[in-house]
Amino acid sequence: MNNTIAPFTGFGLGLRKEHHQDFLRAEQALDFVEIISENFMACGGWPLRTLEAVREQYPVAMHGVSMSLGSPEGLDVGYLAELKALAGRIDPLWISDHLCWTRVGGFATHDLLPLPYTQEALDICVTNINRAQDVFERPLLIENPSSYVSFPESRMREWEFLAALSGETGCYLLLDVNNVWVSSVNHGFDPLAFLAGIPADRVRQIHLAGHSAGPEGMLIDTHDAPVCAEVWQLYGRAVERFGPCATMIERDDAIPPLPELLAELALARDAARMRSIAA
Amino acid sequence: MSLLERQIAFRAEIAAQDDASPPCSPGMEIYRNAYRGRLLAALEISFERTRGWVGEEAFTAAACHFIIAHPPEGWTLDDYGSDFPGVLAALFAHDPEVAELAWLEWHMQRAFAAPDKPELDPAALASAGYSEADWANLRFAMAAGFAATPVSTCCAQLWEALENGPADACEAGGRAEAALLVWRSGTSPRYRLTSIEELRALEAIASGAPLAVIAESCHVARLGEWLSQWLRDGLFSRAIPAIPEEVCNG
Repeated sequence: MNNTIAPFTGFGLGLRKEHHQDFLRAEQALDFVEIISENFMACGGWPLRTLEAVREQYPVAMHGVSMSLGSPEGLDVGYLAELKALAGRIDPLWISDHLCWTRVGGFATHDLLPLPYTQEALDICVTNINRAQDVFERPLLIENPSSYVSFPESRMREWEFLAALSGETGCYLLLDVNNVWVSSVNHGFDPLAFLAGIPADRVRQIHLAGHSAGPEGMLIDTHDAPVCAEVWQLYGRAVERFGPCATMIERDDAIPPLPELLAELALARDAARMRSIAA
Repeated sequence: MSLLERQIAFRAEIAAQDDASPPCSPGMEIYRNAYRGRLLAALEISFERTRGWVGEEAFTAAACHFIIAHPPEGWTLDDYGSDFPGVLAALFAHDPEVAELAWLEWHMQRAFAAPDKPELDPAALASAGYSEADWANLRFAMAAGFAATPVSTCCAQLWEALENGPADACEAGGRAEAALLVWRSGTSPRYRLTSIEELRALEAIASGAPLAVIAESCHVARLGEWLSQWLRDGLFSRAIPAIPEEVCNG
């Protein structure tokens, strides 16, 4: 098994159905493309032809939402097999998923549900990540999700949990700066403390996204709006701390024309360049 | 409370009906809304034309009922809704075109992205040099996305009409008994209306029956016509010759 993921410093977007024709018609100003893995697993026909055509033009990162790494019941063997088959087909930059659970008692939730930061949860995540990394024969990237509740039994902060997870499994991290901001508002922590607690050499990718207002001053990670000023500012601090690494803008709802997202991505390039020079 | 117990309770809380659960925290309310919103959106996308036919309000009521009665079990949202046509059949018992339209809509979408299979080349089959006995024992694997069902309404006409939004009045009921076939040829999902007799023959082939068994219940000339049509349509991914007896006997 290859235990390392070499740094990759580029700027990318998610491949969404609304933009398939744009990608097929012309080369876009992107260094990589991220796919939602589940959209192309156990799949063929036109969607797979599109992915293969895109893969010929760009490196592809595989980002999953259903591995359920926080499941005490363990991982779904069939899911792992399908994911591995897709990875074999497209040779991705890396495979990522979230620090969350999405399945229990035979039911799927199709949402990234939060974990208490306890030793039991850490042990379960370590076991599951090691299992997945053995199957894929490569380290995973684990992303911090947004969360809307916390648990009284938690004994660690989220960033301490992620650092321990990376230390024990050798996994890398996908830092979602918008999620850091959203959770910091929802739970009242300092987002810079989050960044400071993440091991700098383990971050391989950064997500940027928009969010919306929820009940009672909370924020919701909706991916339906441009990146806000606070998140841009936090991104600058992240680049200072983690150095330039693969950055992408996620948009999953109210998806605008591709040129609009490319223009927003250009802002990320500029912000990263300025912060890199300043650092 | 163990992590597993915590997760079972958490899922029960987000999947509970509004009127069957106590008020929850603003954070849990976000998870509950996201759970239902995501499943409802998945059904709206998968059954867009059915939604256009029954109307927003009736569709949402049916979808909410389905979400509570049939929580998702699979890892992909793309699979969520396979049972929805059956639920619609019960909910719209006096409008049978609703469930049949939903069935067609679901299977056309599934065929679009179904895992790839090769397409059987009729010329290659014709030149395979099979004897009469070989043909009799020949079986076929079905094309990507193959599905078949009996229908009693003009659901296919409705499906076509709804492509560009709500259809004008359509004579939905009273059609003679017929059948629908769905499959993918190349990258295009296709459907064809046919007879119940042909449906039964194809169902038998899909379950592994050789041509000789099909020929027992229909005229040989009819079977020849069907076979030509099936091959032209691209309904098969491959032909499966019988294994010679001497191989079976070692």
